This record gives sequence, C-alpha cells and structure tokens, in this order.
Amino acid sequence: MACFTLVPSTLSGACALLSSPSSFRSPLPAMAALRRPFLTYPSAAAIAKAVEKKSTPSAAAATEVAVEFDFKGYMLGKAESVNRALDRAVPLTHPKLIHEAMRHCLLAGGKRVRPVLCIAACEIVGGDEALAMPPACAVEMIHTMSLVHDDLPFMDNDGLRRGKPACHVVYGEPVTVLAGDALLAHSFGHIADTANYPSAVSPALLVRAIAELSRCIGSEGLVAGQVVDMESTGIEETVALDRLEYIHLHKTASLLEGAVVIGAIVGGGSDGEIDRLRRYAQCIGLLFQVVDDILDVTKSSEELGKTAGKDLVSDKTTYPKLIGLEKSRKLAEELLRDAKSQLEGFDPAKTAPLIHLANYIAYRQK
Amino acid sequence: MYMASFMHSSVALFPHLSPSSSTSSSLPPVSSMAGVRAPTHSFSVAAVGRPASQAVEIDATAPATSTAEAAAEFDFKGYMLGKAAAVNRALDLAVPLAYPERIHEAMRYSLLVGGKRVRPVLCIAACELVGGDEDQAMPSACAVEMIHTMSLIHDDLPCMDNDDFRRGQPACHRAYGEPVAVLAGDALLALAFSHLADPANYPPARPIPPYLLVRAVGELARCIGSEGLVAGQVVDLDSTGVTESIGLDLLEFIHIHKTAILLEASVVIGAIIGGGLDREVERLRQYARCIGLLFQVVDDILDLTKSSSELGKTAGKDLASDKTTYPKLLGLEKSRELAGDLLRDAKLHLQGFDSRKAAPLLHLANYIAYRQK
Repeated sequence: MACFTLVPSTLSGACALLSSPSSFRSPLPAMAALRRPFLTYPSAAAIAKAVEKKSTPSAAAATEVAVEFDFKGYMLGKAESVNRALDRAVPLTHPKLIHEAMRHCLLAGGKRVRPVLCIAACEIVGGDEALAMPPACAVEMIHTMSLVHDDLPFMDNDGLRRGKPACHVVYGEPVTVLAGDALLAHSFGHIADTANYPSAVSPALLVRAIAELSRCIGSEGLVAGQVVDMESTGIEETVALDRLEYIHLHKTASLLEGAVVIGAIVGGGSDGEIDRLRRYAQCIGLLFQVVDDILDVTKSSEELGKTAGKDLVSDKTTYPKLIGLEKSRKLAEELLRDAKSQLEGFDPAKTAPLIHLANYIAYRQK
Repeated sequence: MYMASFMHSSVALFPHLSPSSSTSSSLPPVSSMAGVRAPTHSFSVAAVGRPASQAVEIDATAPATSTAEAAAEFDFKGYMLGKAAAVNRALDLAVPLAYPERIHEAMRYSLLVGGKRVRPVLCIAACELVGGDEDQAMPSACAVEMIHTMSLIHDDLPCMDNDDFRRGQPACHRAYGEPVAVLAGDALLALAFSHLADPANYPPARPIPPYLLVRAVGELARCIGSEGLVAGQVVDLDSTGVTESIGLDLLEFIHIHKTAILLEASVVIGAIIGGGLDREVERLRQYARCIGLLFQVVDDILDLTKSSSELGKTAGKDLASDKTTYPKLLGLEKSRELAGDLLRDAKLHLQGFDSRKAAPLLHLANYIAYRQK
C-alpha cells in the first residue's frame, strides 16, 4: 500500500535515547486524554500485521473515493472562501491603525489549514461551509494572533512572516501587542454573533464551541505548549519524550483539535463523532511535528553528507534524536493510520478532504 | 442623610456646595451649586447618552425620601468588602495552580494581588438589580476582572507603558519576564471567555439560558476589542507626545474606550445574565457610561487639585505643562460641573429600579465622584 513508503530500507536508525518520563513534576493530562501508548514502540513486523488487519472493505472503498478527489482544488477553493470571509470580518473601521495592523497580519496569506479543517469537520457531520465559516474565521484569527505575539522581538524575534515583514516591523511593538489582543477578542465575538450565520444556529452549540475553543488556546492548551517549550529551550540535557510530545500536542495539535471540534459542534455532530474527530486532529497534529523532525534530519544528512547519528547530537530535541529515524517513521505511520481509522464510519463521500489532508501532512517534502 | 457622610470630601470637589444647601430628601443638588446651569457639553453628554430627564420612568410607589433613607441604611463599605471577598475566592478557584505551573503562577500573581474589584462588583450589583443573584453573576464577574488584569499586564510591558510596579508589587513582566507576561495576558483573555461560557460554572439549580451566555460573550468581545478597550489604547498611543493639546472629543474617546467601556461591559453583562429586560440593560449601560467618564473627570480634577496644593502654584500654570485633561480644556470649575452632571445623570438612569437593590450602584457612583484618590 502506498502509505508505507515512509519506511526506507537504506537508512539505519540512530541509538534510541529513551529518557525516563520522570523528568516532569506532574503527570501529563494530554497523554491521559489521548490514551495512546506513545512510549512503547511496536516492531516493524507488528505494525505491518496491524496494517493488514485494517485493510477492511470500507477502508479500501474510502481509499478509492479519495483517489478521485481533487484535493488541491478543494484546498484552494476553501481557502479563497475563508479569505473573503476574513476580509469582511475585519473591516477598516476607526481607529484605522489597529484595523490595518489586524488586516495586515490576518490577510497576509497562508494555506488556511485550520479553517479548512473546521469546514471539513462541519461538512462531515452534516453541516455546510456557510455554517462553519464563523468558527473557521475565528480559529484563523487565533492562529494569527499567536504568530503575531510569537514574532515579537522579546519572544521569538522573527522579522518575517509568510514572506512579508512581521507586524511589529511595520506597526511597532505596542500596536502589535494590541492587534494580537484584539484578534483574540474578535474571534470570540465573531463566533458569538448570530448574524454571521446563514440561518438560526442553536445558542447551546455556540456556547459549547466558545468554551471548547477558549480551552484549546489557553493556559492548558496552546499557551501551555508555548510555556513548556520556552522552559525546555537552552537546557543542556535532552528533553524527555513525553515532554516533547506535550509541547507538540499543545503548541500545534491543540488548535488543530479546536478547529476540528468546533466545526463538528456547530455542524451538529454527535458526541461520538466529535470524540473521533478530536482524536483525528490530535493524531495529525502530532504527525505534523514528527514529519517535520524527520524531514529536518533527512535534509541535513543529504546536505551535509554526514550520517544521521552525528547530526542528531547537535540538533534540538527531536523525535529522531530520541527514538531514532526508523522508529520515528514508524510512529508517523502509526499516527497516520490512527488518524484515518477515526474517519471510518463517516460517510465515505465526505471523508475525502480529511483523509487527503492527513496524507498531505504525512507525505509532504517540506 | 447619606450626603452628610460625604460632606467633608464633597466640599473639596464642589466648593460651592455648603452643608446647609444639601437636603436629605433628594439627590444632591450639585447642578444648582454654582447657580449656573451647566453648559451643554453636547459631545460628552451625547457620548454617554442623554438621560432620563426626557423619559424617566419614575417609580410612583417609591417616593424620593425612601430612596435616600434606604440608601442611608446601606452599608456600602461592608457591601464592597463582602463582595470583593467573594470575588477573590471565585478567582482563586478559577485559576488553580495546574501544570505548567509557571504560567498559572504568573496569572495568579497578577490576578490575586488585590484591588477593589470594582468591575466584578458592578457586574454582581447589576445582576442582582434585575433579579439575578451573586452566584449567577460570579462567572462573568470573574471574567471582567481577568480582562481588566490582562489589559494591565500587557499595558505594563516595557514596549507599552513600561511600568515596573503594579498594585504595590513588581509588575508581571518584572517577576516572570516579558514572554511569560505576554502569554499570561493572552491566557487570561482566553480564560475569561471560557469561564463565562462554561455552563458548569453556574448554579445547577438556576442555569443561564445559552442565548444569554452568547449575548454576554458578544458584549464582552465588543467592549475589549478593536472598537472598545483596544481602540482607546491605540488612540491614546497615537495622541501621546503630541505637543498641542488634543481636542475634547478625542480626550473623551480615549476615556470612554480605555476606562468606561469595561465598566460598561461589567454592568451590562451582569444585567444580561440576570435576565434584565432590554430597556433595563440599556439604562444600566447609560449609567455605566456616566460613571466611567465621571471616573476620569474626577481623576483629572484630583490630579490638578493635589498639584496645586503641593506646589503652591495656581491651577492655570500647572495646566500648561500637564497632559491634556478636562481642567486644561474646560477649566476647573466647568470640569467640576461636568462631574456633577455626570453623577446626576448616572443616578437618573437608576430611577425606576427598586431603590433597595439600586443602593450599591448609587453608592458606587457617589464613591467615584467624591473619592479623594
């Protein structure tokens, strides 16, 4: 099957540096919630066996449908809709300066992965794009504000963002701090404004969506990941695997999870459907980071002509560094497989976008 | 009656007001003190909404004397302390020291250090006024205090106002560094909404209908966003360092958005949650706009008054070197008249409500007007 080309036969893994999980002071709530054996690594044979078992007819049928699906066209079309909606959501009202800054950051481009996930999740449970658009815009506002604050000189100090000067370079730090705050506030106001929806939407669902989104981005969500990442930077010893996972689940996966879940909530999904979509999002969020780490190592090896082992010692903590390249690839496969298995049981005609997105994240080359 | 307790402070603010001219039977006659009808500051009054005098719903069953009597028996100080204590307990529960501890420490550091909790208490008082109760109001009361706190955290940052101290202790960024301070502010903003929207935070026996929670979220977002609190901060940034004085309408814009609007949100959200009728919510909104602006006008008057006493200079000379203030633009006397107008208007908006339940808001308006610092 195509999805196993991630396991090359030529590269050998570096030594596995499995740190003990006791480097944390307190248990990881996210790990418990995910209920995954991330700390145990099945052999390649076991994985292959598990994969064969999963080749059920419905999965095969889903794969066939997915192949005919114009993923690129889908992504571009949805991104365009989102861009139009974002443009309307933040008009250039008084005071012009702050709205200019907000628009500069928000409309600078980007693939709009999170809003598209939100829309796809809404559609998969029976909703439609118009219904999903307000929460979709909200997650993009939040994603943008976290980048805007992150780029500040006293944070990550990035002068460029999406190929353009970062907000603070153009507007100064004070306006940038405020633009981020305003985008965060606006995201909730946007979801809560019933006028933004095509027809009457249940207030109870909006309340759930607001509660979910705010939880995903707060001090036990996105911010938690950023804080732990900051605490882990610059320390001598290798970061433990569970801490690495915590960072990725919170810094990256959390907002993807929020996007998918609120799309499903607003679309009227059942609790079971929402749970499965949540797990799908957690898997692809982590998958994104694992693949990122694998690509870093792979590129580095080719460019520098060194073995993977030598590179790993000097890099920041990554999955290949902790568990080796081969096990990292297997982990990626397992995550991809798990993500897709969450989509079984949904209407195969509607799962295509999410299946393709998972594949895209897994197989991209940059 | 209740005027007497404020007499010593009110004279300083309203020097024309002599003890004998105050009566216990009605609202303090501040507008008559100078014998001059207050000039029409159409921009200022227009901004807060012309009251009440055009369409007051006088509660015929509650004569004016009972208002003052009820108010006189009201232990305002005890009320404020009691409600603030309840709010502090709720805030403590709302931000437990969960993992990662550092961010929650920073959030708690700034949130729990103290403060009179004026905004949460306004929220609770408004909720009770329209028939709700403290437990129903508490999540939103906490939310507005979280918002207030996060705006202070971000405001104190070196790249913003660069304040090293806040509420008597080092500012958040001094204690935890700038990155954590920015994130703590962001996290408090997110938590405000999640706390407000989570049905589990409300008394199970008296839940709030979801459509009211949605309204409350919308109101909060509007008040703190790019056309609310942030708008005031941005315009203030734009206006700072400009040598010529800014116009009165710009000054008012800044004050309404930087200060008054969060007070407005506190009151309005409390009234929404408490199930207030639309017209009740709107009158409370107007009340809040009056006291919000009143707060700033009094602030400016106090700054000037203290400065004159301390430096032994005339008010006129000080005015030239100060940042733009109401006394600078209108003169001290007219600023006092404006304060008097705003106080009177605030109270007019409360007419028609149950006088006993309106007592906290009435007293709060007086407190804002007559405080000495």
